[in-house]
Amino acid sequence: MANAIIEFKSVTKQYDNDPPVLDDVSFEIERGKFYTLLGPSGCGKTTILRLIAGFTEASDGEIYFNNKITNHVPANKRQVNTVFQDYALFPHLNVFENVAFGLRIKKMKNAEIEQKVKEALSFVNLEGYENREIREMSGGQRQRVAIARAIVNEPEVILLDEPLSALDLKLRTEMQYELRELQRRLGITFIFVTHDQEEALAMSDEIFVINKGKIQQSGTPTDIYDEPINRFVADFIGESNIVTGKMVQDQLVEMVGKRFECVDGGFQSNEPVEIVIRPEDLEITTVERGKLQVKVDSQLFRGVHYEISSYDQDGNEWLVHSTKKAVVGEEIGLYFDPEAIHVMRFNETEEEFDKRLEAYTDGSGHGK
Amino acid sequence: MSIKREKFIRLTLTYLVILVMFAIILYPLAWIVGSSFNPGQSLSGSSIIPKNATLAHYKELFDLNQSAYLHWYWNSLKVSVATMLLTVILVSFTAYSFSRYRFVGRKNGLLTFLVLQMIPNFAALIAIFILAMMTKLIDTHLGLILVYAGGQIPMNTWLMKGYLDTIPKELDESAKMDGAGHLRIFFQIVMPLATPIISVVALFSFIAPFADFIIASILLRTEKKYTLAVGLYDMVAKQFGAEFTTFAAGAVLIAVPIAILFLSFQRYFVSGLTAGGTKG
Repeated sequence: MANAIIEFKSVTKQYDNDPPVLDDVSFEIERGKFYTLLGPSGCGKTTILRLIAGFTEASDGEIYFNNKITNHVPANKRQVNTVFQDYALFPHLNVFENVAFGLRIKKMKNAEIEQKVKEALSFVNLEGYENREIREMSGGQRQRVAIARAIVNEPEVILLDEPLSALDLKLRTEMQYELRELQRRLGITFIFVTHDQEEALAMSDEIFVINKGKIQQSGTPTDIYDEPINRFVADFIGESNIVTGKMVQDQLVEMVGKRFECVDGGFQSNEPVEIVIRPEDLEITTVERGKLQVKVDSQLFRGVHYEISSYDQDGNEWLVHSTKKAVVGEEIGLYFDPEAIHVMRFNETEEEFDKRLEAYTDGSGHGK
Repeated sequence: MSIKREKFIRLTLTYLVILVMFAIILYPLAWIVGSSFNPGQSLSGSSIIPKNATLAHYKELFDLNQSAYLHWYWNSLKVSVATMLLTVILVSFTAYSFSRYRFVGRKNGLLTFLVLQMIPNFAALIAIFILAMMTKLIDTHLGLILVYAGGQIPMNTWLMKGYLDTIPKELDESAKMDGAGHLRIFFQIVMPLATPIISVVALFSFIAPFADFIIASILLRTEKKYTLAVGLYDMVAKQFGAEFTTFAAGAVLIAVPIAILFLSFQRYFVSGLTAGGTKG
């Protein structure tokens, strides 16, 4: 693809005879977008980052940067900068010198360095902090200096390795907005690594969900949230109720001993499947009106909504997010639209999944 | 009431212990300083507080016609400073590579160093002597410096590697991202952050040759080339007319450069101790 800035072709990374950290991974990164690599710790997302940065070499496969193979290019010759989790600022240099470090290596003139550093610092709202020592800065400020360090070099790609995980919740939310905004203004490709699904959903143009060294699913946040490809993705992103069932025929699914109308298609008849219904798509109603009958087990007040845990007669747990309060121990009915049901095939590859989705949903997507 | 009493007893005991320790350390020192001001040459007639204090022994030391002390002093300074510089350079490079790079033989190399540092330098006395003969480095300061610096490497490499390991690798990577090569990372990032341990290594590798007697006495032949330890020993090891009080004066002066070095490095030691806890 012409617009691809980074491309992985069947990249595998393996240490000695351990199971591979990355297993035959292929993807493309387009210029100027905000990407997120999302997955549990140890899934291989940081390895992808280190491969792009040039800190490790792939055991197999090719990595292209601007359509040129880049496997053996050393890290200091790549057009990439990283913002590290613990900032990695130089404690013996002040803010100005930290940001100017890369420019000094490029032997730029002093006046030019000064102008660029000022510009970078104003980008991250740190004007006037040039002469501060690093130890005098707070966590959030250090984070900003680290970002300024990265953008001042005008790289084509900025890699962010869980940069917000050390900040407290409020600051983290604030920085999410700022990072997103910064990326839009700069137009630089951001590749962001996180294990926080909310962060990923909020910030990204595109998410890669990674598990066990493989990309499980890639797509926009809404795609991934509304149409998870398998149990792992459905479970990892957002809260979800997952039950097994079978597809009687297209648009008709059977679970908990009942048949329900749905909008999914492209299955064989009586194919065993897994069914996802998001807790916010479930509505509390009377037992008679409900499509499912459940008994309320416990209830938590979450601020925006009540989180109700309930069980059906088969013992499946149903999580409900509702603004209405339920009574613990009471039988209630759960109502949902056919669009709320999302059916997942076992062991479907992303390619097959996309093809099936395209054929049976007119590309409009379902759900919300 | 009882708490007050307990506190009183505890404090008294503490001070008592400190006082005893202080006396044990100070007594011989006081004796040496005292006898260096005593007239005459014998130890038996001298006391801690001399009756007729005199600077005669110091004058004698500084008179090149009477003793070669100034030569020795200069030799010792030369050898120690050279050893210190050479050791710091060699050790920083070795420690850095052991800390940062992964290469074949890294583990075995470290193990060898660990074993080597347990064996004192003079255990290889005869080998060193023969080696010096063969390379014609006997009776030269260069030979002495090389032996000292070589002996300093194993232990100090371990010391420094341990410290460098605590400097986060992300700093290297971060610098590398900005386009820095290995040498720039070493000199501009790692070395400035390692000043506390560098000053420790520098001090150790200065004191060791300054105080060494055995190797210097084996390698150095002519009196003018002696280092302080060898020269001073010669003063008291004479069969007749051992000059004990002059020796004492000479010994007192040895402390001067070490004290100066220690005082000038002191603030790095302290910052090294506190900086370890919080990394920026």
